[in-house]
Amino acid sequence: MAAFEKTESGKRLSRYMADAYLNLHTRAQQGAFVVWIAINVPAELFLGFDNVVYGVPESHAAMNAGKGLGVVQCEKAERLGYSMDLCSYARIDIGCVADGGKDSPSFGLPRPDLLVSNNNNCSLLVKWFDVHHREMGVPHFIIDVPFCYEPQQQKDRAYIVSQFKDLIKTIETMSGQRFDMDKARQAVAHTSEGVAHWKRFLGFAKNRPSGITAFDSFVQMAPFLIARGTESFAAHYRLLADETGQRVAEGRFPVPSEKYRLFWDNIAPWHQLRDMSAGLEALGANIVGATYTSCIGSIEGSFDIYPYDGGDPLEFCARTQNCYICPHGLGLRSRAMRQAVESLQIDGIVFASNRSCKPYSITQLDQQRLMQDAFGVPAVMVEVDHADARKYSREATFTRIEALLEAIDARRAA
Amino acid sequence: MTDINQRLQKLKAEGKTVIGCFPLYPPLELFFAMDLVPVVLWGLRGEVGSTLQSDKHLQSYTCSVARHLTEFVLTKGLDLLDGVFMYNACDTLRNLPEILETGLSQGNARLPLIKIHIPMVRPDQTDASGYFKNEIRRLIRALEAEFNVSFSGDKFVDAAEKINRVRQLMALAEQKVAEGSLSFLSFCQIIHECGFSSIDEQTRILESLVAQQTDPPLSGNGQRPGVILSGILPPPASVINDMESAGLRVVGNDIASLGRTYAGAPAVIEDPEAYLLDFYHHHYPCPTLLYTGDRRAALLMEMAQKTRARGVIFVGEKFCEYEYFEFPYLKKRLNQMGVKTLELEISVEEDAHTAGHRSRIEAFAEMLATTS
Repeated sequence: MAAFEKTESGKRLSRYMADAYLNLHTRAQQGAFVVWIAINVPAELFLGFDNVVYGVPESHAAMNAGKGLGVVQCEKAERLGYSMDLCSYARIDIGCVADGGKDSPSFGLPRPDLLVSNNNNCSLLVKWFDVHHREMGVPHFIIDVPFCYEPQQQKDRAYIVSQFKDLIKTIETMSGQRFDMDKARQAVAHTSEGVAHWKRFLGFAKNRPSGITAFDSFVQMAPFLIARGTESFAAHYRLLADETGQRVAEGRFPVPSEKYRLFWDNIAPWHQLRDMSAGLEALGANIVGATYTSCIGSIEGSFDIYPYDGGDPLEFCARTQNCYICPHGLGLRSRAMRQAVESLQIDGIVFASNRSCKPYSITQLDQQRLMQDAFGVPAVMVEVDHADARKYSREATFTRIEALLEAIDARRAA
Repeated sequence: MTDINQRLQKLKAEGKTVIGCFPLYPPLELFFAMDLVPVVLWGLRGEVGSTLQSDKHLQSYTCSVARHLTEFVLTKGLDLLDGVFMYNACDTLRNLPEILETGLSQGNARLPLIKIHIPMVRPDQTDASGYFKNEIRRLIRALEAEFNVSFSGDKFVDAAEKINRVRQLMALAEQKVAEGSLSFLSFCQIIHECGFSSIDEQTRILESLVAQQTDPPLSGNGQRPGVILSGILPPPASVINDMESAGLRVVGNDIASLGRTYAGAPAVIEDPEAYLLDFYHHHYPCPTLLYTGDRRAALLMEMAQKTRARGVIFVGEKFCEYEYFEFPYLKKRLNQMGVKTLELEISVEEDAHTAGHRSRIEAFAEMLATTS
């Protein structure tokens, strides 16, 4: 199983993650100001302070799910009265916090001094952080990012920047620390450098057979979520891209017998990565790209890199706030997906209808039609939940994927 | 409830320009001031009958509000509406404009669709008043351009005063429910119908309602346990009937399409930007207005105290995360003050669970009666 051969960057990732969580707990214990953030709150801003650290409940929840602990943590929240229909990340996080971090691979996150949510990926994240705000008595700062039906407008960007400034003031007041814009600028530059390597890594999917699987990219997203803005972040993605390039040059591919090149739309089903990857490989199929990982480092409507020019870091961070799939609409999503389908020579698309992520999923029925109309590319809808394995059926999923492969065969034969 | 369709047809026959709005708290005054009739597309279960068209665009785990709204616009929108207005609310609704456009375009049809963004920051955290006022100016310009209407301050004052009068009348009607001289079901139906009427018609309906003894007072009204209902929509008629049959009396409501819409009324001024800023900043708490979250529990507890409610029934709209995230905390706080709670879940297939709801409501009513 070539797909499971541990690469150097894979080994480094394991150490990197362990060190990051250890460092977070250690610094918190030593008196650092601790912020919990939504994944797309610009973490680079916190590096503008001397002693502010951040934890990301979504990423921590994904890690729990990836380690097979999603259901255990979800059930804790459900016992407290939280509905099973709520996002499984939220249930994992709420359950884990309520139980003092028990069962978590990282012993949870250190207690926050400030909660910073936003509504761009999803508005319910604000409600989720409100739960902690009330139960822990910790202040909650809400960043409001207007949804994009068209490319982001200047009026909205200025509004977002004004909120970043208020966030900085809030942290200065609460922590007694001064914000240094040059440090934030440096952090954005590190992120931008790392993102350039990330895009280089994803670019190896253009190779036939692909140099990567989307599953590799799902796993390797982790530093983007918890270590942006650091030198080590850029170094990690340089290693990843270099190593992947080397493997491609040597003719080492994750799915050497690649017969079907697929594209994935939605969050990764963290509890199924290994099984799904192996199952697809056995069918000669490789999911070579995903909207979830391609959108990183871009702006809405495109998966191309949006480079940092060294200018105002707040302006840059505001400009990239809508890059993730959820904060922009059907038209922009379809535009980016069309580019990916063409550039990666995609044979079929797997739309993962995710009960735990309505903002990602709600437009998929229309997008599926749009993609089929635009390219005639076969597509299939499978039912998943990104972190709650109880809402996933392997049989139903693979039956649909096999039907997709048959449709691709039929199209080729026609 | 074909009455809603008839009401809209009547408005259209009178030459009115009808704007379907979502979610719950559009700037009604502004539309009326510009000779437009806004109707809030909420709780349209009875108006659409099925979700056949909507199901082509929305997954089954989407809430019934969005599915019925989509069905209504796709099947009746072209006949009954002249345009659609929306502002940002939940993760589902923000995707609807493009879904509606896509659905309509499949029949080569189009409805003008106007969108604005209401700031969701806490006012004590970020001053978004400049941004908000610009959004209102953009809205006025868009309405003027799309519907060939114009704004005037005088008309705005007139519309705002009338809307505030309507809100007061709705609150008075709610009191009649608490007193037992109006059934909660009748009250819900009348408020719903008002939402699809001209402002003068709304005033007429409500003035007539509060002036007369609509239903005979129920015997022993004072002894019936008082409950507050909370949720994004009132429960379906069958559930309300079950509550009233079980001897429960609705003494207050924290329902988004009822109490939360008429609980507050800003001071009327000619400047629509300042007026509406006040309206949204101080709006009665609703999970859809993210910045109001901190005020909700306290107000609900205050309502329970003021109305001497013995219980609160949370009417959960299945898949409405906004409401569901808050239920555990609200229940905890209410229980701490000795108020019992019951949580019901209403889905698209509401009729499938009638017996289950009835049993739980009866048990709840018995508990309230015996623990007084």
